[in-house]
Amino acid sequence: MSASQIIFYLISAFILGCGILAMTTRKIFRSAIWLLFSLVGVAALYFWMQVEFIAAVQIVVYVGGIVVLIIFSIFLTQQSGKEMPKPPLGRNIAAVLAVLFGFALTFLLINKYGFTDQGKAFDWSVNKIGTQMLNTGEQGFALPFEVVSILLLAAMVGCIVIAMRSKPEEK
Amino acid sequence: MIKDFFILLKQELTVTIILFILLFIKIGVKEMPARIVLNIINALLFLNLLAGFLFIRAGSLFGDMFQTSELISFEKNLLNLGTLIISLQSYHWLKNHKHALEFYMLMLSTLLGMFFMISSNNLLMLYLGLELSTIPLAALANFDLEKRRSSEAAFKMIISSAFSSGLLLFGISLVYGIHGSLNFAILAQGYSASPLGLFSFILLLAGLGFKISAVPFHLWTADVYEGAPVPVTSYLSVISKGAIFFVLVSLLYNVFGNISDTWYHMVFVLSVLTMIVGNLFALRQQNMKRFLAYSSIAQVGFILIGISGQSSAGSSSVIFFILIYLFSNLGAFGIVSLVSSVTGKEDIDDFRGFYQTNPLLSWVLAISLFSLAGIPPTAGFFGKFFLLLAGAGKGNYIWITIAALNMVLSLYYYLRVIRALFMEKQEQPIPKINAGWSPKIAMIICVGGIIVTGLFSGGYTYIHSFFIK
Amino acid sequence: MSEIPVTHILFVSTALFFIGMYGLFTRRNMITMLMAIELILNSVNINFVVFNKYLYPEKLDGLFFTIFIITIAAAEAAVAIAIIINLYRSHHSIDVEDATEMKY
Repeated sequence: MSASQIIFYLISAFILGCGILAMTTRKIFRSAIWLLFSLVGVAALYFWMQVEFIAAVQIVVYVGGIVVLIIFSIFLTQQSGKEMPKPPLGRNIAAVLAVLFGFALTFLLINKYGFTDQGKAFDWSVNKIGTQMLNTGEQGFALPFEVVSILLLAAMVGCIVIAMRSKPEEK
Repeated sequence: MIKDFFILLKQELTVTIILFILLFIKIGVKEMPARIVLNIINALLFLNLLAGFLFIRAGSLFGDMFQTSELISFEKNLLNLGTLIISLQSYHWLKNHKHALEFYMLMLSTLLGMFFMISSNNLLMLYLGLELSTIPLAALANFDLEKRRSSEAAFKMIISSAFSSGLLLFGISLVYGIHGSLNFAILAQGYSASPLGLFSFILLLAGLGFKISAVPFHLWTADVYEGAPVPVTSYLSVISKGAIFFVLVSLLYNVFGNISDTWYHMVFVLSVLTMIVGNLFALRQQNMKRFLAYSSIAQVGFILIGISGQSSAGSSSVIFFILIYLFSNLGAFGIVSLVSSVTGKEDIDDFRGFYQTNPLLSWVLAISLFSLAGIPPTAGFFGKFFLLLAGAGKGNYIWITIAALNMVLSLYYYLRVIRALFMEKQEQPIPKINAGWSPKIAMIICVGGIIVTGLFSGGYTYIHSFFIK
Repeated sequence: MSEIPVTHILFVSTALFFIGMYGLFTRRNMITMLMAIELILNSVNINFVVFNKYLYPEKLDGLFFTIFIITIAAAEAAVAIAIIINLYRSHHSIDVEDATEMKY
């Protein structure tokens, strides 16, 4: 086994372990931290695949943005240290069985289809991503870019309306 | 090239321009009285609807990511019309709402998302349009800011939509893995019928099934419909559902055409379950919005029959039914919205004796419900007739029989509401409501639409002509 | 990196997807449900990058899809958290079961 293979299996175990812990611990703040580790692990996987740009975006947006947002909202809405109640046993068993069955089915299908490495060089560069992002022609992604910007605008407007405190005189 | 750009994208551009006008009004201008603002917006939406009928052309842009045709323009015009009706109807609710402008900004951005979704020629654009049309809608569902139910509805909606787009995305990623492309034209050349290909198709169908609330995936619907403000509920049940049906029709026929034998059976199961469960639950509802929610679930089952037709008859019957469904459901929701915003009452029992105080409004509601039930002189009958006709082309008579039984079942609960309106009495019926001119226009459009499309069969022939060319 | 079969990487992403599903089914706290959604979206991102890198390296469709999913995940999380905060303010609990005032 080469070093790269060992690193891959370590990263995978790290991602899945942290993911499982994030979904099963009963302290919500710990759950957020495990999620953070799991997302860092995914970024590491991107680094391992030598897609550094996505890895950087992953760290900046997910780890730096979303998880921080989640942690803030935990501080705003939860009493720290309180344990969440255990899920009822029946639901837990049903969920485990459903998930295991779904996973087995999906992975068997994927395995049977047999995706194989084409062995071609993957040529991406930040330069290429940038030119394609704002290109309106063939292989251009200008339209999705604009659609996403409208979505961000709308999400911003929606968040402001919902989360803004009503003015004091109206209380 | 530049001219193409403006003509092909005109419907999206007009909506975007209105969106930005509203943004600038919100930020820049001093507080304007709500009435004036609402009237300006209604005028703008009317212009937007008119502009949709000009310069219709077919073509594609952005390296085949965006496509449009006469049919697609027509579908967008339908959505524009529905949005205008809802905007007129929600006048009373918005008059006293602090965030009326934001309501329109979010609504128009979701409309824009639906336009891009209908015009998409690429799975990426399909996904982005779908998200643009649901995330702001979840924020809209929370617009009764003080009410707890409204927030709960919003949360349920965003989680279930995120879950469904998770399924959809996993499906899309597998499709990408199998075919190496996201373009519809390339996928359509030979969609893989391998087990994994079918599995990813099921994931896609499940993701879209959530959004149209077909039965195994309907659990969020009733709660969201009940908790959200009525205009948002009617928007959800008519406009966003209609848009997804337009997409579903073109996806199933054009992209997944060569596995149609497989999806026929899936649509069959979905449709039967949806009709039966929707109708059985609608029987026992007391709240008007929940009742309409389950009745709209049952209608989805009927639309799925038309989809199975797999021919030009199938698609045109679905689009024709959505046109009628738009008028009928918005007619019903318009009255519920009016009553709820003036008196705050939403239960079926509250509507007892409604005829004595508000005869005209009762007739509008009754005609809409008759049309939803599919009783002959109204348009709803022809809508369902064409759906069943398209479905019968496949010769699956079990399905048609189940559908006919369900129509009888649905008559019972629609008539229950009508009996409450006209024949039952109570001590203190809802007082006389002064609708004001803009909800009245909306009612006239709805009733007019129901009667005109019912009496003249030109509508179906017109829609059918798009497919024959 | 040809020593690792593509299916092993897909194993990781599929497992992550179903871990997220498990969380979504069992958790009843709104914020943890949101975390489950993030895991699901991440697993899809891995899928897209893997397919793009190993199977179809000529075009960058998968990379772009990943970038757009990340953006949308951020928008979705922001709206969801705004809703959660509004709900907490009116209601002081963000458990889904406490929140079900409505019956089926």
